[in-house]
Amino acid sequence: MATTRILEWLGRFYIVLLLGFLYLPIIIMAAMSFNASPFYQLPFEWTTDWYASLWQNDQLIAATWNSIEIAVITTIISTVLGAMASLALYRYEFRGKKVLQALLFPPIAIPWLITGTAMLIFFFGVGIGRGLIAILLGHVALALPYVIVVVSARLQTFAPELEEAARSLGANQWQVTMRVTLPWIMPGVIAGGLFAFAVSFDQFVVSYFLSTPGQTTLPVEIYAAIRKGFTPEINAVSTIIIVVSMALMLLTARFFKFGGEK
Amino acid sequence: MRMPRLTAFLTATAVFVSAFTLAAQAAEEVHVLNWKGYGADEPWAVANFEKATGFKVVNDFFNSEQEMLTKIRTNPGLYDVVMINAAFNDQAMAGKLIQPIDVSKLSNYADVAKDKAGSPMLNHDGKVYGVPWVWGLTALAINEKSFDKPPTSIAEMWDPAHKGRVIIRDDAVEAVQFGALASGQNINDIKDMDAVKAKLTSLMPQIKTFWSSENDWNQMVASNQIDIGTYWSGSADRAKTHFKLPVSLVIPQEGSVAWLDAFSIPVGSKNVAGAEAFINYMIDPKFYVEWVTKVGAPVSANTKAVEALPEDAFNRKVMGSPEVAKRIQFQAPITDEQRERYLALWQELKVNVK
Amino acid sequence: MADQLATASQRGLRPALPLLLPAYLWLTVAIFLPLSAMVFFSFMTDLPLAGKEWAFTLGNYAAFFSQSLYSTLLFASLRLGLEVTLWCVVIGYPAAYVLAKVLKGRSREAIFLLVILPFWSNGLVRIFSWAMVLREGGILDTALNAVLPFKINIDLMYSYPAVIIGLVHSYVPYMVLTCYLTLQAIDDSLIEAGRSLGASRRQVLWRVIIPLSMPGLIAGSALIFVPVVGSFMEPRILGGRTGTFYGTVIEDQFVAVFNWPLGAALSFILLAVVLIILALAAPVLRRAG
Repeated sequence: MATTRILEWLGRFYIVLLLGFLYLPIIIMAAMSFNASPFYQLPFEWTTDWYASLWQNDQLIAATWNSIEIAVITTIISTVLGAMASLALYRYEFRGKKVLQALLFPPIAIPWLITGTAMLIFFFGVGIGRGLIAILLGHVALALPYVIVVVSARLQTFAPELEEAARSLGANQWQVTMRVTLPWIMPGVIAGGLFAFAVSFDQFVVSYFLSTPGQTTLPVEIYAAIRKGFTPEINAVSTIIIVVSMALMLLTARFFKFGGEK
Repeated sequence: MRMPRLTAFLTATAVFVSAFTLAAQAAEEVHVLNWKGYGADEPWAVANFEKATGFKVVNDFFNSEQEMLTKIRTNPGLYDVVMINAAFNDQAMAGKLIQPIDVSKLSNYADVAKDKAGSPMLNHDGKVYGVPWVWGLTALAINEKSFDKPPTSIAEMWDPAHKGRVIIRDDAVEAVQFGALASGQNINDIKDMDAVKAKLTSLMPQIKTFWSSENDWNQMVASNQIDIGTYWSGSADRAKTHFKLPVSLVIPQEGSVAWLDAFSIPVGSKNVAGAEAFINYMIDPKFYVEWVTKVGAPVSANTKAVEALPEDAFNRKVMGSPEVAKRIQFQAPITDEQRERYLALWQELKVNVK
Repeated sequence: MADQLATASQRGLRPALPLLLPAYLWLTVAIFLPLSAMVFFSFMTDLPLAGKEWAFTLGNYAAFFSQSLYSTLLFASLRLGLEVTLWCVVIGYPAAYVLAKVLKGRSREAIFLLVILPFWSNGLVRIFSWAMVLREGGILDTALNAVLPFKINIDLMYSYPAVIIGLVHSYVPYMVLTCYLTLQAIDDSLIEAGRSLGASRRQVLWRVIIPLSMPGLIAGSALIFVPVVGSFMEPRILGGRTGTFYGTVIEDQFVAVFNWPLGAALSFILLAVVLIILALAAPVLRRAG
């Protein structure tokens, strides 16, 4: 038992190390947002100027709002469409079902670089061009497989007898879905939604190819700034985002169990 | 009895407001295509121009010359003013993308330096296809902390003392042209590509990283990671005066690459008068002085604009000296085939680097 | 357990269609049609724009085979993908195990969230922050010099190791996540049974735990290998002069050089290679499980 105890403590220590590794650049990023030097020069000089000038930076703010809007819309669309598709794949047997399931694979299996450039080519040829609509189209497509996988996983734990029982009691398909199935799979739907939001909000590669000056998302705007010349305002906005995300995560953790406890 | 009066008042206001907006919409637009953050989209400049002429400015941007050409091709009639580097002007003209400019409508054109205005790159069949705007150098810049005396030769970049502390731009054409300068050749007529290749191959181990923006360069010198590198003349000046970094520009005796940016009017522009007014404003000394003072800029092609700067201003003193003028070589157009050869060479060099 | 089959028993495609159609229609327009368009483009000489001549050609694909630089770069990218994935396994799997088996309750939830949170910080700025840590005179250099009795010079920036570190940092949470999900599903009683039968810890690990968590390892590896192979942003920023990879060359075609047909051809070759690797690797790994 002693060895187990030692191993367990080693394990905990390892987690601490890993968290240190994960958060080192984030802490630096946040620290530099309060540093006066525009070139990340040390010694450290405290200032909140970057946060102040961030409010004047219309481009960054516009890009941030774009990112949030697109992420929210992406989440709604992909969650609804994805849940519907998962239900269909769960309930029905038909020829070609395996093919359809396999077709969910490409968006994840294909490097975003290729998906992004392919979308660029196609949208350009078809006349959709670049911009926020194109980005939205791309994001939903990227998020859908994640939603379907997560909701399907949750459906695997659902007992079909419940649906049958409800139907035998006289409920029609719609009532069965809304009153029986949906409540059960709700945690999966929410998890899928969170995944979709994350996929959309931090998506860089596809957004990069589909954006055009004036219609960009935050990651793209930051990349453009890094390439063309920037100030630690981008540190400021990134720090704000991570603080807000932390708060949101804590809130959702209050209400939904993440640990997957049985 | 108040209601009818109120209604009448509201109706009158509505009519007035809608008439006003209609009038505002009737104000014509000038669509400008340029690099982002390169003068034409400065908020104060746009405001000044709109106030003076009543035209509304709509800015669009590109990230590379090829993108610029594609944008003009895929949006015929959309743009009124396009900023085209002189070395690309003939490609645009040959592709029937730009139209001749009636320079008699531009009051400031007469003040443009004669050699630039008359440049064969911008004039074809006796017609003007590009109005010279600003020019600058891609020369060397040094970290003052690493040198007792500024170097005079481009060979300094190859000095083993600076191994791992050299920085250059990730651009195939620029790299090849620097190789040409280093091997004593004309950048626009490179006869010995093998010499260029040898020069560049021996340069690669010296390089720490590539820069693509001013900020990259400035960051590297601020954290004292580089000694020397290629840099734009205007950016070196800005780093020194604006950001107070220990940077000096060096125009080596072997020469330096120079570039000329110009404005053109695409074929099918719907507002040629607005385009002419905008271009005239861009070469106006008042715009230029404000631009240099507020932001920093390359050298204006308009001699009066340069003279309007203070005497010790960098763009006037250093860039205006005839000594400098003798050593620089302006980039001329290169064929697509040449460009691809340079690109292939450059990619090969980058891949084989250890 | 996820293995319990709880699928339905209704037959027929028609009732399923209205539920399936929206999602798959979207995927068609946004993914499958663009991929087809890309194949089409890759056989052209130039973009079909008004005024520009174009023709069909195999030249773009030929370029891949005629210029060795492309295949060199492809190998470099594949190798990068493999190395990053392996590091993520080595670093992420133990962490997932601790999370699933050692930590419990509130602390487990808290740590879990902390591992996920970096996903929400902007990847680019994180990469840039690594520059501050890894460069000469940066945080790592200063810290080590303060601690060690002799002077050393650490300058990891603008090098292959820097690219690896940056990529591993970005992608290891995926591995932790997927491995956690499968490890957490392993019944503790199985492990106890193995131990009570006299197996050593190592044997239990190799014979019971790893095989059962193989799906998580495979999923995590796929989620990491695929994006890394195509990555261009991290190599550009962290790699300096050694930062040229297959992804950066493709990006160049679309952004700087504007040779879309060549970019499309190169992309398709990458796609084919990645799919082949995934197809080959899956059964091998499954058999090992």
